[in-house]
Amino acid sequence: MPEIKVTPLGAGQDVGRSCILVSIAGKNVMLDCGMHMGYNDDRRFPDFSYITQNGRLTDFLDCVIISHFHLDHCGALPYFSEMVGYDGPIYMTHPTKAICPILLEDYRKITVDKKGETNFFTSQMIKDCMKKVVAVHLHQTVQVDEELEIKAYYAGHVLGAAMFQIKVGCESVVYTGDYNMTPDRHLGAAWIDKCRPDLLISESTYATTIRDSKRCRERDFLKKVHETVERGGKVLIPVFALGRAQELCILLETFWERMNLKAPIYFSTGLTEKANHYYKLFITWTNQKIRKTFVQRNMFEFKHIKAFDRAFADNPGPMVVFATPGMLHAGQSLQIFRKWAGNEKNMVIMPGYCVQGTVGHKILSGQRKLEMEGRQILEVKMQVEYMSFSAHADAKGIMQLIRQAEPRNVLLVHGEAKKMEFLKQKIEQEFHVSCYMPANGETTTIFTNPSIPVDISLGLLKRETTIGLVPDVKKPKLMHGTLIMKDNSFRLVSPEQALKELGLAEHQLRFTCRVHIQDPRKEHETVLRVYNHLKGVLKDYSVQHLPDGSITVESILIQATAHSEDQGTKVLLVSWTYQDEELGSYLTSLLKKGLPQSTA
Amino acid sequence: MSRQQAWFIARARHRFAMTRECSLLLPHVCAALADPRQPGSDDTCLEKLLDWFRELTKFDPTVELVQNNPCLTEFITSVLALPEPSPSILSFTLRLAGILAASENRFQHLQQEKLLVRLFGRDGPLNSALWEDASVRSGWVEGVHSMMHHQPALHFLCDGGGIDVIFTLQGDPSLFVASAASQLLVHMLTFSVESEMTEPLSTKDCDWPACAQMIIKHIEDSLQSSSSSHIEQSLKLLTSLFGSCRATWTEVLWLGIAKQIESFLTEETVQVQHMLANLLLRIAWSPVFCDTKGSIWALVTSALEHLTPVQAGPLAVGILRIPECPQDVRIQALTVLLQPMDCILRAASQPLEYAGLLDESVSDPATVESLLSSKSSCVNLLCQTLAHLEKLLSLIRLPVDLPYMSLLRSLMTILQFCNGFLSPASPLGSTISRILINCFRVQRSALDVLAALSKQKGCDTLLGSLFDVLLAYLESPNTNPTVLKKTFQATSKWLVRLQELSCSNTQWQQTKKILEDVFLVLQKRLYSPCWEVRDSSLEFLTALINCLKDQDEFRQSLLSSEVPRLTENLLEDPESYVRASAVTAVGHLAFITCFAPESPAIGNQYNKENIVAKLQEILSTDPEGFPRRAVISIFTKWLRQGCTGQLEDTERFVSRVIQTVEHDLDWEVRLGGLELVEVFCSQTFRQLGHPKCTYAPLSSVVTSYINQNESLHVFCRAKVFSFLFQSLCDYDKPIGQRACDVLLGLRYTFYPVRTLKDSQGAEDSRAGPSIAWLQRTLRQGSMAQNFPTDGDNGVDFQDPESMLLALDIIDLEDLHDGLNKSSDHVEKSPQSLLQDILATVGTIEENEADCY
Repeated sequence: MPEIKVTPLGAGQDVGRSCILVSIAGKNVMLDCGMHMGYNDDRRFPDFSYITQNGRLTDFLDCVIISHFHLDHCGALPYFSEMVGYDGPIYMTHPTKAICPILLEDYRKITVDKKGETNFFTSQMIKDCMKKVVAVHLHQTVQVDEELEIKAYYAGHVLGAAMFQIKVGCESVVYTGDYNMTPDRHLGAAWIDKCRPDLLISESTYATTIRDSKRCRERDFLKKVHETVERGGKVLIPVFALGRAQELCILLETFWERMNLKAPIYFSTGLTEKANHYYKLFITWTNQKIRKTFVQRNMFEFKHIKAFDRAFADNPGPMVVFATPGMLHAGQSLQIFRKWAGNEKNMVIMPGYCVQGTVGHKILSGQRKLEMEGRQILEVKMQVEYMSFSAHADAKGIMQLIRQAEPRNVLLVHGEAKKMEFLKQKIEQEFHVSCYMPANGETTTIFTNPSIPVDISLGLLKRETTIGLVPDVKKPKLMHGTLIMKDNSFRLVSPEQALKELGLAEHQLRFTCRVHIQDPRKEHETVLRVYNHLKGVLKDYSVQHLPDGSITVESILIQATAHSEDQGTKVLLVSWTYQDEELGSYLTSLLKKGLPQSTA
Repeated sequence: MSRQQAWFIARARHRFAMTRECSLLLPHVCAALADPRQPGSDDTCLEKLLDWFRELTKFDPTVELVQNNPCLTEFITSVLALPEPSPSILSFTLRLAGILAASENRFQHLQQEKLLVRLFGRDGPLNSALWEDASVRSGWVEGVHSMMHHQPALHFLCDGGGIDVIFTLQGDPSLFVASAASQLLVHMLTFSVESEMTEPLSTKDCDWPACAQMIIKHIEDSLQSSSSSHIEQSLKLLTSLFGSCRATWTEVLWLGIAKQIESFLTEETVQVQHMLANLLLRIAWSPVFCDTKGSIWALVTSALEHLTPVQAGPLAVGILRIPECPQDVRIQALTVLLQPMDCILRAASQPLEYAGLLDESVSDPATVESLLSSKSSCVNLLCQTLAHLEKLLSLIRLPVDLPYMSLLRSLMTILQFCNGFLSPASPLGSTISRILINCFRVQRSALDVLAALSKQKGCDTLLGSLFDVLLAYLESPNTNPTVLKKTFQATSKWLVRLQELSCSNTQWQQTKKILEDVFLVLQKRLYSPCWEVRDSSLEFLTALINCLKDQDEFRQSLLSSEVPRLTENLLEDPESYVRASAVTAVGHLAFITCFAPESPAIGNQYNKENIVAKLQEILSTDPEGFPRRAVISIFTKWLRQGCTGQLEDTERFVSRVIQTVEHDLDWEVRLGGLELVEVFCSQTFRQLGHPKCTYAPLSSVVTSYINQNESLHVFCRAKVFSFLFQSLCDYDKPIGQRACDVLLGLRYTFYPVRTLKDSQGAEDSRAGPSIAWLQRTLRQGSMAQNFPTDGDNGVDFQDPESMLLALDIIDLEDLHDGLNKSSDHVEKSPQSLLQDILATVGTIEENEADCY
């Protein structure tokens, strides 16, 4: 029985580096190739040795698909393609391809910055990797090879994020990557058609949560920033160059405009200009509101947000500064933090995850006395706030997507085991489909029952229609024809057409049967009795008595001869084609019962 | 123990020591982790905690750690007492216990408390519902593996039935657990034999130690079972064993199973042939099979015969690399690798046109022919064969002579099948050509082999037709960007070969024609709408200039083409990667235009000033980092090659560059600037001579010394010092480190002999207020704000006297140490980790789900 196998190397019952292997109809696909930011040794990458043991990577894998530009989904890609040795095709959307190198460069900088870091990719490797990437459009069916095709659907979450349908023949898998079922300030909601895949692999970060509206969180954020600025304090927002930063910029820009605020907002990195450039370039990927207003006013051309110079940090008075990196572990954000931390009027807002060991992680966990370099103790008096703006589908959203796509099976990844377990039961109850949640390294096998589409020739269809078989979707009907398998497809055609197409000569296959009848009369008299008998019984059929003494009923031929040893026994030779098998069998059994006495 | 080892151990001990602070924090951490009411800790924290314990116990076998920190055993006890511990905490506990039990002393200590038996024994987690969780099984295997360093642990496991658990786990649904179980068995077998055997084994009387005996029996039983999965597990184990252990006893083990393994080659009921190649390869590589080498080679020969070509490929390429491989085996291995190539050649040829690669009597090509004529297997077989050939050709010393000419012809045939330029009449040929048309995978692999083949001699007569094939690929609009890149790589390698040849004979007409054709097609490619193609084209051009810039024909053909002009146009490409590659290409072009000894008379466009100005413009205005990084790297290259003119010109040039890059937002551009300064300094010293002063100068001597010291004046005028000192305070640490290195280099040159300073940071009496200010500022490191450039705060970075004094007075060694201590602010100390875990308790739930 055909089967689909799924093995997560990462994101199986965890929210770490996503990397999922799918085998479908003999094709092997890797979904995402992420890294774990929490480690700085080999543990940051998925363990690819499980793939390399199957021989050369490029021979084993048919393609790699990246769902979006976050590093936990694409961070290991240059390592995989340039250092582990995968040389095959890589697919992602156009915005992901454009933005991915920025994030990879950003992360490389942080990493090579660390002493003793080895086994990490270079700038040239990032470029070489990106050159292997084939960028795809939404809803464009891309033929990876003759059998394997993929198609991207809008996923919300971040600019360029996509869900991918992977299809081989009539078997298919949909991988959601990270997605968001409610539109946010700059992106729309995820959407997929009713594609009824054999398997839907869905993220489940918020598997048990019904998230409060993002609007509430945004209001809260604006309130906190506003209050701090009003009392003359400074607000530091450590961010990575791209993603969350743009969303928060739009938020503050509109708020500043509406409230007519004067306090300066600065953005500290050169990368952001490029990031904003991409948001402008891929305006079609943003939400409807941004697209509509784009002509009058481009959301990404900020009036209030200016470039930051390191000297500004000492300026008196309130200000808001977006600074990189996002975890307060190096560079400008840390430098500003150290300057402002001692003043209780100031505030730092952490909008994302922080790795253990970073200043960001420490202050988020409530530590207020930090040992900095040279054993200086930095006392943190400023307010510390955490705001989650991450855009994932919540439990409701996940159920909504399942309803939309109508999969035959569901597999959950990118979430915590306990929460997944809860959602799994809910899915199984509501949709009556099997739901799986393999751990990393565990293989889930799903048996599929593919329906095989068959084309029907127009000639055959017309012929069937003329004999009253009008096609009707609701009433399936039996149709006779010859099934031809040619050029990887199936067609039902008339036998004549099949012969013609395949260049074959027709052979008649006839069944014959001898029936013994006790009748002392002459042969022609027996034949006449048989004829009369059949004519009487088979009123709707054409029964003929031919001049040569034989009888035909449709294509069935009956001849009578005397038995060589017993003249009182007549032998009836009945022969029929396989098309008239039913009638032939019926006739034989009829004759075997003997002829009625009254038949003259 | 060597001194170096001792130093490493001392350093590791110091770094990971159980300090007083740590031992005070640890009980709280243990209590928090064992508390089921607390939300689970971040997995990375638990991993890092285990890393720390691994380091703590690595060089310390004593029981002190567990005795002095009873919270560790209490923690294990309390986790065991929990009715339903979380799988991650249970897994952590199993691994922790294993790490602690790695030394015999601590093992006994834990045994006395009956902790190990409760964790790893029959009544432990392995009989609970939690065993269903892969992380618990994985923790169990890892725990056992960690403790398996002494005999009591071995006996504990074997006597308690634990070994059967490991046998079962070999077939675990989790790949990770199954693989870890297999590795554990290898380790146990090796450890058992090596620690418990008193006398060497003889082949006749195999008296294995008890644990080894159990494992070997399990291997033998599995090999004889009818279950493919059991056989596969044992084959995996053996492959790993023979790969990692080179002890003589492995030969005894092998002799016991060799017959069985051999039978798998011909066995049709169990399909494990695909695993045999790897196993046989490991055995063939192992140096211990001296006495049985003959039978091993016979087995390898049989495997090469019986395995399918795809299965036999890795074995063939592997054994060809073994120096002592017998000639007949070598020939057979080569046959396996060359047969598909031979078939291709024969399929494409007219009868009797070419001899194939192989003598037909060597092997029967029927199998390979049937594989090549099937759509599903053809591409796979060819890609694998090509990959093996590339591997073979990339070896520095080829162990065999390959028929290079025929191989090249076969490669060309494949490439022509792929682009539809060849559709032979023979049935096999036409089938293969239909399968291969537009097949990128095969194209990529074939071009890789083609590039590798360029190193070999003996293909020269085919060069003309080879370039026809390559040019067809370069020209065709259907060529996929990745394939095009590989075509460029192969072309550049073969162009170098062509040039070598044309130097030695009279083929220059042909060379000229080929070069013209290449540049013609390159011109078109530089216009490509696809940035990947433009970028690969520019990289190709740079590679060509690098290799062939000394060749007249090359220079002439290049300069008479449109390529240089188009390359310059690409300096304004919308894609930053392309602009960067254009900068590099233009920089290299300059070597054969304006920097060439006999600059060709080709108009004003190659004027040195023009090019420098253009690149300067990019350095100061390009909005993206890649082109700016490329400019600074080209400038450094020019400087190294002495292309920037006389010292005076160079000084002006460097000064301009410094002023442009010192405020660059990209840290790598600033780092490039420092590299340029370093090259400049060493070149200046080379040209002007090193300073002669060998003593700490007294003021009267200083003046005359300074006056004499032209280099110092040059550096001051070029604003080198302000850039270097300012970089010391850069918030990107690698900049500070590099600047400090350069300054230290200068200091060593100006003050070759120095008296050591006694107190760190004490102000020198000679330091005026400005240098004292500089000293103080530098101590603040990246916190220093508004670092002065010339004029502010009284530091005159262009004053030779001040700078010489600054070099002497400022404690650069101390700064260097400080900067090198950590280049980021991620705290890695165990104390910080413990604090973080403790602080996170109760706060993590809100934040953890937010992965992005």
